[in-house]
Amino acid sequence: LIAHNDSSMRDTEDMDAEVEFDEGEEPSFSDPEDFVDDISDQELLGDVLREKPQEADGIDSVIVVDNVPQVGPDRLEKLKNVIHKIFSKFGKITNEFYPEADGKTKGYIFLEYSVPSHAHEAVKNADGYKLDKQHTFRVNLFTDFDKYMSISDEWEPPEKQPFKDFGNLRHWLEDPDCRDQYSVIYDSGEKTGIFSNDVKEPIEVEERARWTETYVRWSPKGTYLATFHQRGIALWGGEKFKQIQRFSHQGVQLIDFSPCERYVVTFSPLMDTKDDPQAIIIWDVLTGQKKRGFHCESSAHWPIFKWSPDGKFFARMTQDTLSIYETPVSFLQQAICFRVDFSWSPGDNIIAFWVPEDKDIPARVTLMQLPSRNEIRVRNLFNVVDCKLHWQKNGDYLCVKVDRTPKGTQGIVTNFEIFRMREKQVPVDVVEMKEGIIAFAWEPNGSRFAVLHGESPRINASFYDVKSNGKIDLIKMFDKQQANSIFWSPQGQFLVLAGLRSMNGALAFVDTSDCTMMNIAEHYMASDVEWDPTGRFVVTSVSWWSHKVDNAYWLWTFQGRLLQKNNKDRFCQLLWRPRPPSLLSQEQIKAIKKDLKKYSKIFEQKDRLSQSKASKELVDKRRAMMEDYRKYREDAMKMYQEQRPLRLELRGGVDTDELESNVDDWEEETIEFFINEEIIPIGDL
Amino acid sequence: MKPILLQGHERSITQIKYNREGDLLFSVAKDQFVNVWYSVNGERLGTYNGHSGAVWCVDVDWDTKNVLTGSADNSCRVWDCETGKQLIMLETNSAVRTCGFDFSGNIIMFSTDKQMGYQCYLNFFDLRDPQQIEDNQPYLSVPCSESKITSAVWGPLGEFVVAGHENGEINQFSAKSGEILKKVREHTKQINDIQTSIDLTMFITASKDSSAKLIDSASLDHIKTFKTERPVNSAAISPNMDHVVMGGGQEAMEVTTTSTRIGKFEARFFHAAYEEEFGRVKGHFGPINCVAFHPDGKSYSSGGEDGYVRIHYFDPQYFDFELEA
Repeated sequence: LIAHNDSSMRDTEDMDAEVEFDEGEEPSFSDPEDFVDDISDQELLGDVLREKPQEADGIDSVIVVDNVPQVGPDRLEKLKNVIHKIFSKFGKITNEFYPEADGKTKGYIFLEYSVPSHAHEAVKNADGYKLDKQHTFRVNLFTDFDKYMSISDEWEPPEKQPFKDFGNLRHWLEDPDCRDQYSVIYDSGEKTGIFSNDVKEPIEVEERARWTETYVRWSPKGTYLATFHQRGIALWGGEKFKQIQRFSHQGVQLIDFSPCERYVVTFSPLMDTKDDPQAIIIWDVLTGQKKRGFHCESSAHWPIFKWSPDGKFFARMTQDTLSIYETPVSFLQQAICFRVDFSWSPGDNIIAFWVPEDKDIPARVTLMQLPSRNEIRVRNLFNVVDCKLHWQKNGDYLCVKVDRTPKGTQGIVTNFEIFRMREKQVPVDVVEMKEGIIAFAWEPNGSRFAVLHGESPRINASFYDVKSNGKIDLIKMFDKQQANSIFWSPQGQFLVLAGLRSMNGALAFVDTSDCTMMNIAEHYMASDVEWDPTGRFVVTSVSWWSHKVDNAYWLWTFQGRLLQKNNKDRFCQLLWRPRPPSLLSQEQIKAIKKDLKKYSKIFEQKDRLSQSKASKELVDKRRAMMEDYRKYREDAMKMYQEQRPLRLELRGGVDTDELESNVDDWEEETIEFFINEEIIPIGDL
Repeated sequence: MKPILLQGHERSITQIKYNREGDLLFSVAKDQFVNVWYSVNGERLGTYNGHSGAVWCVDVDWDTKNVLTGSADNSCRVWDCETGKQLIMLETNSAVRTCGFDFSGNIIMFSTDKQMGYQCYLNFFDLRDPQQIEDNQPYLSVPCSESKITSAVWGPLGEFVVAGHENGEINQFSAKSGEILKKVREHTKQINDIQTSIDLTMFITASKDSSAKLIDSASLDHIKTFKTERPVNSAAISPNMDHVVMGGGQEAMEVTTTSTRIGKFEARFFHAAYEEEFGRVKGHFGPINCVAFHPDGKSYSSGGEDGYVRIHYFDPQYFDFELEA
């Protein structure tokens, strides 16, 4: 500090000296002749130097292709042609080298592009290219060889991480009354609560202010609750909802879990750079490690990555390829050209996708098994405008909704192509629909499906059943429904037809076993319908995100009996906590169903008990309240009586305590009211 | 129960009030008319003409001699009830929001709005002193700079005025010194209405925060809370049952986004002791701005944003109804 002071003082002195020197004459800015500049370029313009063009040895633009067929000189020209055809798609090839030994090529080649980015492109797209049965190209950057050569031979075992005990992550399943939980966001997002659902009133489990910045998500088996923050995602779980894991992803907007809960995919529009793909990141839930990052062009169709039901594969569609990745290594399994839409079977590792028509080639719906890549069913379709894929929850059926414009007709015709997945060769049946389709939904565990079709206000709801012989029966049609969405109970059989938002929240509760309307109701302006995971209850809600008044969630039984109206100020979202699949075998479930009468007696008794307890509690509560009120009123009346002389004085001695206490002072007045009289002659009838 | 529909106003009703015997019903509205009706059949007895702006408040003294009104035309007027003649006009700097006769009928109070650079005042005049009237000089004028008064009633025996404020506060102002005797903050939003029980020992507040509260007049102790999901514009205490009635609904500017079909414009009846709702009365096709019980408790009236006053006589079942306890 002293040294600094010294120097600054000297500076001032110098300046003073200079100023004193001569004010009229301009000082000389030239360096003395023996002056040597001691500032390096790095110090002076480090920021510019970084962009200084560098001499490239061209090595960045070289790729190595393995598994190339080994050929003699006679066929070398032909091979070169094939290679050119494949690899010049990615850029201009400036140099090539086919090493030879004993008159045959060695089976690997070197290609040089004009710029490194083309080489990168080639590695990205041609790696794994299947030339023929024996030859699948492996493409690498030449520079990668250097990189991987320098990796130490000795393996360092990773440090042992201490085991963190978060308690029983499935604690909520042990509730003696089998209550389900749900999360509620309200106060326009300020507050988040977890509640246990009870017929009487929700039981609060946990409530925190500013738990999340936007919304929350449950993992598919209900183990974790994910909250969103500016800096990333946090996972919470266990009995007390402690933080279990964090994934740091600046500006994260969307997430998706793999069905097995092993991985989580996050999306943020902020972080992506050219060299470091970070728009989409796949994380390991258990370790919290980042597995891989991806670029992303648009987040419009979230989830971008779709997972196979066992979490082994995930697939995404980029501009015109469908890429399937395998976990845990996450290498690209294969790329298929030009797809429009795809979807995994929820039951098996089968992927369904469709390819639109191209000149003379018909549109095609393909079902492909993985990892064998067997095409188990291909269906060609003509004059297709659009296809939508709808899987039944177990993967037993697939419905492809096909919009077509048949030749010589105007407008669009819709067909349902029903694939029966469990039968040999996957037979397909067609249901022709005569009207526009508003909604379609499979019964989750059954063979029925529901369709809303027609045009507002003439919307019809139809229910179909797919028989094993391929016959598809129309079971029932309800006409003139106020509905735009179908919500099946997760157990099947029951469903809610809802007219959300613009249709004012009309609700119809349907039992599809005999197709009866169990109840017709309304939750005005309802924006969401959510079944609990067991299919016992259903919640309708008006979210503050879509409507600013009457924000509330209502609880109904599956039959449509309203149990609760929960008004929450600026309520935003309710999500049921999912349950993991049952551990019971099919036989055990059957046995339970058989003995249902035995169990139902126990439950009915329990219900009666809790009901009488509840009504007793209510009566007790009322009694106590009345007692308090009576006491207050008695005290008030006592005081009132004491003040009587004062009142009399104020009103000049007139007693006005009772309505008729001064009746003697009343003046009687008789008022006549005129009643219209009109004679209307009744003519001859 | 078929209501009697009173169609005497062209704009939304701002306040209704029965006289002590309940044979007359006074109504004021934003259309500058003051009407008086026979409550028994809904026939209009007459109007008090003179105001040139929305009339915000009305009161009548205990022996139904004088009628007091306050208006957005910056005046507070006293009328002869029987003849309709204007007796007194007190000019103010801003709109008159609330007014009332004290227990004796000799002293009036009224509050003015914070408006046009003037702040809110609570003014007291003694009608027995002609000098005060002539000079337009209240014997007591209390400034309320913090938050304006939105509703006010006299306490029992005329010792103080209970005022509800825009910020949800309730204050007791001494009618002699003007000082604040007691202060509570029971509501989080504006207090739209205060009405006393028939014996003046307690009062009910109606607030924009969607609740109404029963409060002791003297101590300002909270007694009961009645919750709804809409702003409450007005609430009244039944004179002969342990019941309260509440009227409200969405604010007028938001009404188009709600449906009348789901009936949020209903008058809602709560049990005073249990704080539970037990009945609703439909009818208005806009928010209810004011409700009032007939002093005999056999009927009640409501005035709405729709401009109508409805008189409802209770069915016999209403008096037999008991909640299980």
